[in-house]
Amino acid sequence: MGNDKKAQKRKSSLTRTFGTQEVIVVGVIVILFLFFSLASQSFRRYTTVVTLCNYMYYILLMAIGVTFPLITAGVDLSIGTGIICYSIVGSYVISQMHMPVGVGMVVTMALALLFGFLNGIIIAKLDLPPFIVTLCTMMIVRGLGSILAGGLSGVWPMAGSPGSWCRSIFKINAGGKIIPIGMIWMILLIVIMSFVLRKTRTGRYIIAIGSNKEALRLSGVNVVKWQVAAYLISGFFAGLAAIAYACTFSNITPGTGAGLELDAIGGAIIGGTSMTGGSGSIFGTFLGVLVISLLKTGLPYVGLQANWQQIITGLVLIGAVTMDMTKRHKAAG
Amino acid sequence: MKRTIALVLATVMALSVAACSNGGGTTASSASADSAASATDSGAKSGNGKTYHFEVVSKGFQSTYWQAVYKGAQSEIKKLNDKAGYEKYSMNFVGPDSESDVAAQVQQFTSALNAKPSAIGLAALDVNALLASIKKAQEAKIPIIGFDSGVPNAPKGAVLANASTDNYAAGKVAADGMYKKIKGRLGKDKKVRIGVVSQDATSESITNRGLGFIDGMIEKLTADGLKVFVTGNQKYVGDSKGSTGTQANANVILEVRVPSQTTTELCATEAGVILNESDTIAIFGTNQTGAEGVVTADETLHVCGTGDDQIIAVGFDSGSVLKGAVSGGSMYGAVTQAPVSIGSTVVDLMAAAAEGQSVKDKDTGCAFYTSENIGSPEIAQNLYD
Repeated sequence: MGNDKKAQKRKSSLTRTFGTQEVIVVGVIVILFLFFSLASQSFRRYTTVVTLCNYMYYILLMAIGVTFPLITAGVDLSIGTGIICYSIVGSYVISQMHMPVGVGMVVTMALALLFGFLNGIIIAKLDLPPFIVTLCTMMIVRGLGSILAGGLSGVWPMAGSPGSWCRSIFKINAGGKIIPIGMIWMILLIVIMSFVLRKTRTGRYIIAIGSNKEALRLSGVNVVKWQVAAYLISGFFAGLAAIAYACTFSNITPGTGAGLELDAIGGAIIGGTSMTGGSGSIFGTFLGVLVISLLKTGLPYVGLQANWQQIITGLVLIGAVTMDMTKRHKAAG
Repeated sequence: MKRTIALVLATVMALSVAACSNGGGTTASSASADSAASATDSGAKSGNGKTYHFEVVSKGFQSTYWQAVYKGAQSEIKKLNDKAGYEKYSMNFVGPDSESDVAAQVQQFTSALNAKPSAIGLAALDVNALLASIKKAQEAKIPIIGFDSGVPNAPKGAVLANASTDNYAAGKVAADGMYKKIKGRLGKDKKVRIGVVSQDATSESITNRGLGFIDGMIEKLTADGLKVFVTGNQKYVGDSKGSTGTQANANVILEVRVPSQTTTELCATEAGVILNESDTIAIFGTNQTGAEGVVTADETLHVCGTGDDQIIAVGFDSGSVLKGAVSGGSMYGAVTQAPVSIGSTVVDLMAAAAEGQSVKDKDTGCAFYTSENIGSPEIAQNLYD
């Protein structure tokens, strides 16, 4: 005990403010950035930043959302195929039913919230394992997206076509220079969701579910309600991610999306969210997603074939989980 | 309470699945955008004459390309029925969710066989996976007609005929169209890069097309006395005619990139890397998804165009994204196949085979289009959204 106190005192003010893992992750980001910049001339360009942002939006949005179920010691696997399903239905509303883009967005969000709610209610009310439940909804939304859109690939408005205003939510063209203004919304959402997680009742109960659900239940808190809230938040952000994906890439292929959730969950875990629940931060998730997106955009530049990129991303994840477990063992010992 | 909720949820789910499915059971994706229920053009058996039922197993409906194939097949069925004066032919058109979903296609092909059709149309994703089922069809004496990429390397005699684009030749058409445009920028004292973005290295139609392009380009360049170095994905490097120079002394570097999954966003990353190289003068996307990846990447980079200082992008197939890019000038041109004609030809071949006539392969053709001829009738009929 005495040693622990001393050790804590020795910690620098930096690690006290941000947490050890977050400081390490920042270090990793800096190293990755330097490495890619030195290894590839064409990586050192302004447009790389824009491309990086393009990738980051949908992964980050999914990751912010999924951080909440993760903190409750749950998980939401349905977000990856979910964003494809939601955006493909949105595209159907826009391009086949000829509705305004705004209506497509509302439909996308409504569907995402519906599945978030379904996940939550099944997990909380029936007390089923989140891994299994969301694995099932992952398969359901994958099939549903294809069926609802008639198996066709979906197209959201492209640059220059009517309704293309939706693209300028994330990037604007200012005199030939593309400005990734989506980052402003991301920062705003990070601040808001950090506040929700740390300072509101919702956030505090969600953390409490992850650390000791039984104790929380015994103290008279409606656990079901707050657990559903966590999945609803995940669904909401999956909806936003679907819109970000659609507005950036325009073209959505049905039946894909499996694996995208792992980028998001991986990001959250690298950022220090514990897989066993009870701890995590939105800022950490942001840093973790930055690592994932850096790998995604950077690795092709150093001449690696696509399959090597997956191997390296997997190795980085193992590192992050090991770090989390060592931390936990230390805390327990 | 819990049990009631479980029961209600299970019922709702089962009902909604039943409501969504079109009763066929085997149709993973129904073909029509208008109504999910019209993939089966069921034949009324009221006519006096003989009736034939066809099963068609496509590669899926991901791109609007397949939708055009379906339309061609559907209208040919109607035409033949009108001619016969009764519902002589009926067709069930199915396909898996994605072009990498080999297992789903095997299942659909097996179900199609169980329907005991008069003939079966097949665009195989992976011939090896389908071998057992193809043998069963042979034993049951159900004629198989290949379409689109067909059924390459099928057992002898199993596939009676193919209605398809010669993809290797189509790849050469793309190389030809691109070469004419970039000729002036090549030279023995120069070192430039031409990129290829291919959505995968497994599908026969796509690899053949990529190889056709690479080989076509190598032929043109070596004829000019230029040295070529092919690099990137092992499959393409290994199966193409190969390098005539080394990385150091090559006048043209042909770089092939393949993403880990067949999505636009991953194709866009690979395309972005090529477009970002300072020596890149041209890029080829081997199919709709690959070419859309090029367009998406260029939206950020703004380096493609038709000018002499811009990167010449060439695509394959159409769809609203590519059509927009070609008319707008950010993509120089693209090769279109004739999906409508593929659809109608496969029906014709199936009808002939079902009646025991001898059938043979039909090349359904392709053409290079740019912003100049995109509106001409012979091109426009094969472009789809």
